[in-house]
Amino acid sequence: MQIEELYQYSDTVNELLARYGVKFGIYKNGTFNEQLFPFDMIPRIIKKEEFTCLEKGLKQRVAALNAFIRDIYGKKEIIRDGVIPEEFIYMGSGYLAQCEGVLPPKGVFTHIAGIDLVQGKDGKWYILEDNLRIPSGASYPMIARTICRKSSPALFEQNSIVDNRDYAKLLRRTMDYVNTGGHTVILTPGRYNAAYFEHSYLAELTGAHLAIGHELVAENDHLYFVDYSGKKELVGAVYRRISDEYLDPMNFNSESVIGIPHIFDIYRKGNVAIINAPGNGVADDKGIYYFVPKMIRYYLGEEAILSNAPTYLPFYEEDMKYVLEHFDHLVLKDVAEAGGYGVVFGSEMTKEEKKKFVSMLKEEPRRFIAQEVIDFMDIDIYEEGKLLPRKADLRAFVLMEEEPVVWESGLTRFSRNPDSFIVNSSQGGGFKDTWVMAE
Amino acid sequence: MRRLDYRYHMELLFEQPVNRHHFTLRCLPGENERQRVLTEQVRIEPDYTGGFETDSFGNRCIYGRMEKPHERFLVDVTGTVQTEQNMAVRDTQMHRLGMYRYPTELTAMGASLYKIFQKASFDGESIMEQGKYIMEAVFGHFCYEPGVTQVTTTAEEAAALGRGVCQDYAHVMLALCRQRRIPCRYVAGMLVGEGASHAWVELCDKGNWIAFDPTHNCMADDRYISISYGRDAGDSPINQGDFYGTTGQRQKVCVTVEEKQDSFV
Repeated sequence: MQIEELYQYSDTVNELLARYGVKFGIYKNGTFNEQLFPFDMIPRIIKKEEFTCLEKGLKQRVAALNAFIRDIYGKKEIIRDGVIPEEFIYMGSGYLAQCEGVLPPKGVFTHIAGIDLVQGKDGKWYILEDNLRIPSGASYPMIARTICRKSSPALFEQNSIVDNRDYAKLLRRTMDYVNTGGHTVILTPGRYNAAYFEHSYLAELTGAHLAIGHELVAENDHLYFVDYSGKKELVGAVYRRISDEYLDPMNFNSESVIGIPHIFDIYRKGNVAIINAPGNGVADDKGIYYFVPKMIRYYLGEEAILSNAPTYLPFYEEDMKYVLEHFDHLVLKDVAEAGGYGVVFGSEMTKEEKKKFVSMLKEEPRRFIAQEVIDFMDIDIYEEGKLLPRKADLRAFVLMEEEPVVWESGLTRFSRNPDSFIVNSSQGGGFKDTWVMAE
Repeated sequence: MRRLDYRYHMELLFEQPVNRHHFTLRCLPGENERQRVLTEQVRIEPDYTGGFETDSFGNRCIYGRMEKPHERFLVDVTGTVQTEQNMAVRDTQMHRLGMYRYPTELTAMGASLYKIFQKASFDGESIMEQGKYIMEAVFGHFCYEPGVTQVTTTAEEAAALGRGVCQDYAHVMLALCRQRRIPCRYVAGMLVGEGASHAWVELCDKGNWIAFDPTHNCMADDRYISISYGRDAGDSPINQGDFYGTTGQRQKVCVTVEEKQDSFV
């Protein structure tokens, strides 16, 4: 059975995905638009040996990132030892002073990490960014696989593709590992959230309660789920799909109406696990990315297995000089932005834009990083009977139990525009399944 | 050394009942080299479920939740504190100092702050001397005037206005100190006399926190009782609440501090 046989089911599979509600909501100019998240039938295929190497590198990276966050909200030895300048911590928007001295259950901060990678034309993988707050996307390849298996069961039977439908099992183990006693809850802001499909799907598959903010109350140093009859049940773990800012109006943004007042106070006392830990933004800042290989050396005493894209920090004089000299070959990123925003290519700027940007860069060098543009490998997409090459990245998911575990699949996102390198779903891209081969 | 009797009295009156009321209070004076708590009584109405904790800035907090509808929320704290003059507060968590060295949203630099910063002369070498210069510059720049600023007014906005209350003086001083990377923190507290709560700043010099009161252009002495600390006023409000109900509310705060008459020094 050949993989090409799968293509003929493209429309049916997409129809089914739509019916299941695989959508992506986007807020633009004050209006909410729900659009389908287009699925392409051609999978990204990763060979066993290649994945084994990725797996090792990803585990190493997440272990170091977790150690880093723990250090930053604890003793701060990495600053004391001069490995990371303190302004990159305190001037960044991800650092939350409220988390100082708070050690989460089992010392886990990065329960679910979404690490974005690209493969260069030479076959080498590069880390593009770390997402340690609320990385979404695992549900998409999972449901796509479920449907594809139904359309061509023989294909999956005859090829040794590692089954990726166990993500929910991994997630459940991750949540149970830190649970302080009581129910496990997935906290959603509601159906207008971009990733609501994922929230409900993961709740269904893990057997967790899907809850909104006011169904959870803090009382007597514990968190409770209040059911429709008013009965209260103890909660031990909350996989929250709400950002830190809106999580708790009594500790963060006081305007939040979707959060749980005092959940952070209970968490501080160790009486509930919050997944992922508040304050993780301190480690996935684009400015901190530069330091991850140094972190790996510092905390683990190892060299990084997976490389960063070559990155320059204009904060350092030497790097600033390089950036100004090679401006046209670099991509510049605003460290405070996410989701593909705040990314500009030196080569695409007019003279005037460039002048403006350079003066901004000189004024606030810490705000930007510059990277070599990686010419990454194309993957074909199937459109109207034709195969078209497109840029694609891979979001790998690393879940933390006693040790980090890498999910043997991942979300492959592609840019629908042939000239674009930006693959973010919030910019209208599509997705593919990721097949890891068992032999 | 003085013995000070204090009372922090706060009432929130709602025009119509509110429910699901959550609160966090940082209204309990802490213990340190400068002050010792001798007695303390707390009254909170109506009944609530909740507890005590210490936050990341070292403040003692009472937090709780009132489920049932109520029209009044009352907090009354009374006690006696023994205060010392000319004592620096020793920092026991030096590794957390970094967060006090960098601007927050409320203390971010802006054009008006830069003007004061440039005008202030910084001949002093020690933190103490620098603090005094900055304090003088802030005091000279401001006119004390209640009602023109709010709790959310930033240091830059207050500096542009040139008028404000103790919170604004403190924020501007913090912004200027942080521009020099001097670790400094906001202090909410009480001062001998009657009226509202007060605010001032502390600068850290080799592990010792020294208290400056820019509103009065003086060092804070044993007439001051500190209650809560933070990087700015937003980190450590004395009282903070969140409730259900769309109704008008009135807040009455009355703070009194007087020297205990029977004390002997």
